[in-house]
Amino acid sequence: MSSAAGPTGRGLPGGAPGWLRRPAARLAAGGRLGLLEASVLVLAGLLLATATVNDLVRQTHVNHRLTADLRTWRAYTRHDYRNLNINQDVRGQSTRDVVCGNTAPGAPKARVQLCLQMMGPVRSGRRSVSGGWYLPPRVENVRRYRYACFGPAAAEHRCPP
Amino acid sequence: MSVAIERREPRVAPARSEQWAPALAGALALVLVAVAAKLVLDAAEGHRPLVPTSPDIASWLRGVGQRLEYRDLLILLLVFTGAYAGLLALARALSKRAALVLIGALHAIIFAGPILLSTDVFSYIAYARMGVEHGLNPYVHGPIAIYHDPVYRYVGQDWKHVATAYGPLYTLLSYPLAPLGLRGALWGMKLEALLASAATLWLVWRCARARQLDPVIAIVAVGANPLYVIYGLGGAHNDLIMLAAMMAAVSLTLGGRDAAAAASVVAGALVKVTVAALLPFMLLARRARHARAQLLGAAVALGLGAVMAVAAFGAHGLDLIAALNRDAAFVSSDSFPTEIAHLFGKPGVFPVDHDLLKAALVVIVAHLLWRTWRGFDWIAAAGWTLLAIAVTSTWLLAWYILWPLPLAAVTRDRRLLVATLAVQAMFIVHQTAPLLAPVS
Repeated sequence: MSSAAGPTGRGLPGGAPGWLRRPAARLAAGGRLGLLEASVLVLAGLLLATATVNDLVRQTHVNHRLTADLRTWRAYTRHDYRNLNINQDVRGQSTRDVVCGNTAPGAPKARVQLCLQMMGPVRSGRRSVSGGWYLPPRVENVRRYRYACFGPAAAEHRCPP
Repeated sequence: MSVAIERREPRVAPARSEQWAPALAGALALVLVAVAAKLVLDAAEGHRPLVPTSPDIASWLRGVGQRLEYRDLLILLLVFTGAYAGLLALARALSKRAALVLIGALHAIIFAGPILLSTDVFSYIAYARMGVEHGLNPYVHGPIAIYHDPVYRYVGQDWKHVATAYGPLYTLLSYPLAPLGLRGALWGMKLEALLASAATLWLVWRCARARQLDPVIAIVAVGANPLYVIYGLGGAHNDLIMLAAMMAAVSLTLGGRDAAAAASVVAGALVKVTVAALLPFMLLARRARHARAQLLGAAVALGLGAVMAVAAFGAHGLDLIAALNRDAAFVSSDSFPTEIAHLFGKPGVFPVDHDLLKAALVVIVAHLLWRTWRGFDWIAAAGWTLLAIAVTSTWLLAWYILWPLPLAAVTRDRRLLVATLAVQAMFIVHQTAPLLAPVS
């Protein structure tokens, strides 16, 4: 009788591990409050799991785009450099990325850097270059350091006047 | 005949499981040790930012491993996590000695290697050197104030202008390491983290035994945890010191020493303020008939801490709430609020979301306080609170999800352990995007 009224009688197999059976027993004892808490926990868990998987998929798409950015920079400059710096739109509201790299061989940011602005979808593993600018050595891609803006980047006033 | 078979079957099944379970647990323990060793040997070869630029403390390990690539790190992390999950399921088959040897080996391996996955330890050293070597108040200035100091180049870019957010007790604990030079201070920080971890695990063992839980399962759950070992210990994070103070408080409470327990929570909060979340649950717990003793212990510890902080750092040493508010406004891409914002098509977390998250946290904590008042296990309630703080934080780092783990290991509410490990698993899964789509 007692076993029938216990956790195994509520759907958990008799061979279920103890740590699974104990919460079920507590749930029975806690009644509606326990059920409510368990429901909220399950819903919260589902939300977090869904958000995690969704973000993982989103990030893989972003990575796919960044790979296309790097490939585009290398094709445009004909420099097969590995240490390139990518700046994404920090607010994530656009897919505009800026890739910067040295104009001559050297340590990262050790030479004058060429920054290219990438826009649009990935086509054949590449993206569209929407102008760009240059940076002196050893500085970050901050507006005040930019010079010689070209293409649409110049029209968008990406460089200081 | 059939009766004889029925009788025999139950005997055969446990005998078989008794045979393979210890062997499998031993194999999984070996996997954990091998992965930790591979990680440290590869990290010794260096690779930013996985292995932050650092004074050379692991050169003697060079020449054996390969340069640690992001992809390799993720694979090692996943294998470690899988082996840990398996080991946790089989932990009953592990002897006390085997568990201690495993955890000791993991700690020794990580201790011997370079700093992993975080530059925080260099901020700790920078704040210590600011106070000791340069006579500057680390609660007023950021490391940029000592840009000529050798530690400055190792401090994380985001933290160069930021004054310390750590408690005054921790800052004073770090001061004796400042004159040891950069390498000496780094080894000192690693040793502090190692000793804090050893203390935490010892206290977890004591608390589990006091609560009639299996202490082997409890210490394996904490001491072999991938985020605890690789991120917490690997990065020599001061969260481990906070956890030691937290578990000391739990152990003292279970031993009936309420005043000392409350003082220990306050001491922990003077290392990292998050642990103060335990105090209201301790006070409200039904068994805490000695709330007056707890309040007295907390008040004395707080008074001593305040005097110490003001004497050492002026009024700025007490302004930890401002530091917390500042850090709470940061947003990391790994935080769950950011992921949920993306799920609903928003580009990220907005100021209104911060307010909503704070409101949600208040509701959760209020519910847990009410439940504790009604007799729910205060240790579990405090653990749920720490988990809720981590999940609702927009600035989530791997070692923040360690906060509830020791409490989860010593509570009978196994849902807390399952939820903590599930949140950790989601965090790890979220890291794996470069494995699925590498950027090259």
